[in-house]
Amino acid sequence: MLLTLDLNDPRPLHDQVAGSIRRAIAEGSYAPGDRLPPARDLAGALGINVNTVLRALRELRDEGLLEFRRGRGVSVLSRPDARAALQEAARELLAEADRYGYGPEEVIHIIRELS
Amino acid sequence: MTFRNPGRGDIPAGAGRTGSAAGRSGVPVRGRRTALTVAAVWGTLVCAALIAAPLALRDRLPDPLATHWKSAGPDSAMSFGAGLAPSLVVWGVAWVFLLVSAAHGEVLNRRGGRAGWWGFLVGGSVFALGVSGSILLANLDVADWRQAAMPGWAVPAVLGTAAVTGALAGYLGRGEPDRPVEPGDAPAMRLRPGQRAVWAGRATNRWLLWLSAAMLLAGAVSGAFLVLGAPVGETVWAAMLPLLPLAVIVSLISDVRVRVGPDGLRVGFGPLSWPAFRVPTGKIAWATAERRSPIEVGGWGLRGLPGTGRLAVMVRGGECLVVRRAGGGELVVSVDDADRAAALLNAYAAEEAAA
Repeated sequence: MLLTLDLNDPRPLHDQVAGSIRRAIAEGSYAPGDRLPPARDLAGALGINVNTVLRALRELRDEGLLEFRRGRGVSVLSRPDARAALQEAARELLAEADRYGYGPEEVIHIIRELS
Repeated sequence: MTFRNPGRGDIPAGAGRTGSAAGRSGVPVRGRRTALTVAAVWGTLVCAALIAAPLALRDRLPDPLATHWKSAGPDSAMSFGAGLAPSLVVWGVAWVFLLVSAAHGEVLNRRGGRAGWWGFLVGGSVFALGVSGSILLANLDVADWRQAAMPGWAVPAVLGTAAVTGALAGYLGRGEPDRPVEPGDAPAMRLRPGQRAVWAGRATNRWLLWLSAAMLLAGAVSGAFLVLGAPVGETVWAAMLPLLPLAVIVSLISDVRVRVGPDGLRVGFGPLSWPAFRVPTGKIAWATAERRSPIEVGGWGLRGLPGTGRLAVMVRGGECLVVRRAGGGELVVSVDDADRAAALLNAYAAEEAAA
């Protein structure tokens, strides 16, 4: 599983991890039924505490995206709905805009221009 | 982040997720029909010979048969059936395995796989025929199994003939060379500054996991009997003790975890992901996802020849991460979703080269 974290992202780490997993599922990289790597592996790869990853996984379970099963680990239950996927993309857009010195209001203005 | 996978024949686009299922039955393989026909006919003939020859000679054989020799002479005997069944069983298992792997697998897709497949088919049958034939010859026309003499050259002759015919068959059956994989085939990915991307994946082999569990159980039972006092056959239980360390080794190779990060590649063995080895980003030239089969690397487990720079961590056939080292040589690791791992490794290797 490919996860990306933004080093400049002000959100708490578990939110970022959850967002990264949500996007991987939304993009179709992982389909319902696919198994996620163990939380320990994800934490080791990201160089963060395993509890942070577990907290992200629990958030996603509560959203109905993931399923925890004894002996089988964590697997994808369903795709996030369109709104959640768009929210994740918008969040990234805002972060990217921030890097270029654009605030949310200016981003909204750009979107208005496009549509 | 963008993710690009140049169109290649061997890995269908999006193989990342469906890797374990992709290519298993899809693309038709040239030469598969010939291979299956030859294997079916030849294997049946070998089975027939392994059954018919002892039956035809039964009147001229002692009962029981000498089946095992030491330098001084035969040291164990078995009944007619039990003495000759092993070579039939060994060949039968190998034959069915080769048939199934050619019919459902992708072993014939690559030159190494074809050479190994044909080599095992011919070499294995020659070995089974040789073992059975030498036992028959040694026992032929002797009154009692203790008089059966096995010449000292028989074992090396059988092994040598099997190896030579197997190698020859592998050479003749190797077919066209594989299309060379070039750096342009490597999947790529663009990392944005300030982004930290990591990948975690694994490969598991349920058969090896069960095998390891069975060995662990057998080893533990034998150990318990030895400690508590065995009702029968202490030597048998003692002989089973080595299964305990073997079970650990098999479990290490039944489940492999792979991580890719800015530092490079980490491959961890077993359920604990330990022991592990690392390949730093600086030592990686480029990586691809390719399909490899155990037959072409010489089997399951950790495979490689010292000095060649080639190493394979073969957990199961199919999708593998293939890493070309900067100093030459390649590392093959079976893992699901290898396409993404390769793309990320390439991105970090390119960053390292630019730095």
